[in-house]
Amino acid sequence: MRGSWTMVCALLAALALGVCQWLVYVYAPVERSMGLVQKIFYLHLPLAWWGLASFFVVFAASIAYLRSRRPWWDQLARAGAEVGLLLAILALVSGAVWARHSWGVWWTWDPRLTTTLVMCFVYAGYLALRGLELPEQRKGTICAVVGIVAFLDVPLVFVSARLWRSIHPAVFAAEGGGLEPEMRLTALVCVASFGLLWLALTALRARQLAVAAHIAHLLMSRHEQDA
Amino acid sequence: MMRAVLAIARKDLTLTLARGGGLVQALLLGLLLLFMFSLSQEVGERMSPQGAAAIFWLASAFCQVLIFNALYGLEEVHGARQGLALLPCPVQAVWIGKALAGLALLLLAQTLFVPATVIFLGQDMSGEWWWALAVLLLADLGMALLGSLLGALSQGQAAKESILSIVLFPLLAPLLLAGIRVGAGLFAGRTAEGVTQWIGVAAAFDALFAAAGLVLFAYIYPGEE
Repeated sequence: MRGSWTMVCALLAALALGVCQWLVYVYAPVERSMGLVQKIFYLHLPLAWWGLASFFVVFAASIAYLRSRRPWWDQLARAGAEVGLLLAILALVSGAVWARHSWGVWWTWDPRLTTTLVMCFVYAGYLALRGLELPEQRKGTICAVVGIVAFLDVPLVFVSARLWRSIHPAVFAAEGGGLEPEMRLTALVCVASFGLLWLALTALRARQLAVAAHIAHLLMSRHEQDA
Repeated sequence: MMRAVLAIARKDLTLTLARGGGLVQALLLGLLLLFMFSLSQEVGERMSPQGAAAIFWLASAFCQVLIFNALYGLEEVHGARQGLALLPCPVQAVWIGKALAGLALLLLAQTLFVPATVIFLGQDMSGEWWWALAVLLLADLGMALLGSLLGALSQGQAAKESILSIVLFPLLAPLLLAGIRVGAGLFAGRTAEGVTQWIGVAAAFDALFAAAGLVLFAYIYPGEE
């Protein structure tokens, strides 16, 4: 049953992403000053938002693991970190292409960019901890603690953009921000479609980890029986 | 609880200062970093205040990693860690006690790193020093609180220095940025822009990591032998 909704979610994501292509390249107008490069925005925004959502999943699943000690939460936290890191790196890469065209540089020490990069390092460190040779429960506890502490860094993404001078555009600021209505609708549909893809990816990876743990447990039981 | 905290801090400071090994390594690494970075300048050239402040905080961060590994390493043998966990007080006393000891050792190290930065990197401290001191104390407090929490995570691991560094350094970034910006103001002879906001950022992080440590330390200490 678990697998069936993941499949439905993945199929819906495929359909929705197809619709997104039409919205991005046909429906939404070409931006006057940036031209076609502005279309990167419809990819960059969902990647950044769902990357952040993944890190929240790590945080929430880590708390749930510490409270219940159920391995499923640990597996979900790991899946969230892997998917989140992937999306955050892709958001940085797509942002760099945007920055090159818009600001003339591949990278700038804009606070939001800097903090996103810092988050990538934090969650890469978290995944490095996953590679340690430790008993599963001890590793789960250590990773849960780091998963919670790491998320304390995430609000700085938003705070820093306001505290320090930022050249990052305020996309959905008050009173409509800087977007045309067609662009706004396209961006929202892209975010929702990527949300379906993100949900399917995270759920699939968490299930994969659960199956791997189950197989490892069966193998260990078999070895014990043989011995 | 405070008695236990102070007793643990006193024990750690006495052992670390008496044995010397861990502290000397941390001091040497920090001083070596400052000296090596001074090689990036031409003869007679003065490093930018921001560059000098960044190197000072980098030296402090590496020093802190070695300090907390040394502090948690004190109970690695003879089941001493389990003994410490049996203290008749909340286990958080260990976290706060080690954070206090680490803070004292870090401040001690920085009393050497500041003159070394001035000498090797050609700086002078003509700015308003009280702002820099306030940020230094807040940043050191945050580094000690988080270092003590994550130091407990890496205890008993084979590559504990590298594990602690890769997890700790990115998390410390906001504190280090605050320290660098205000320190650059001190070396440049002016008050750093937005100094009160930087103090706010450092204080907010201290509060967050203090709360996190209080809640989470009990899950990871004493761990396993």
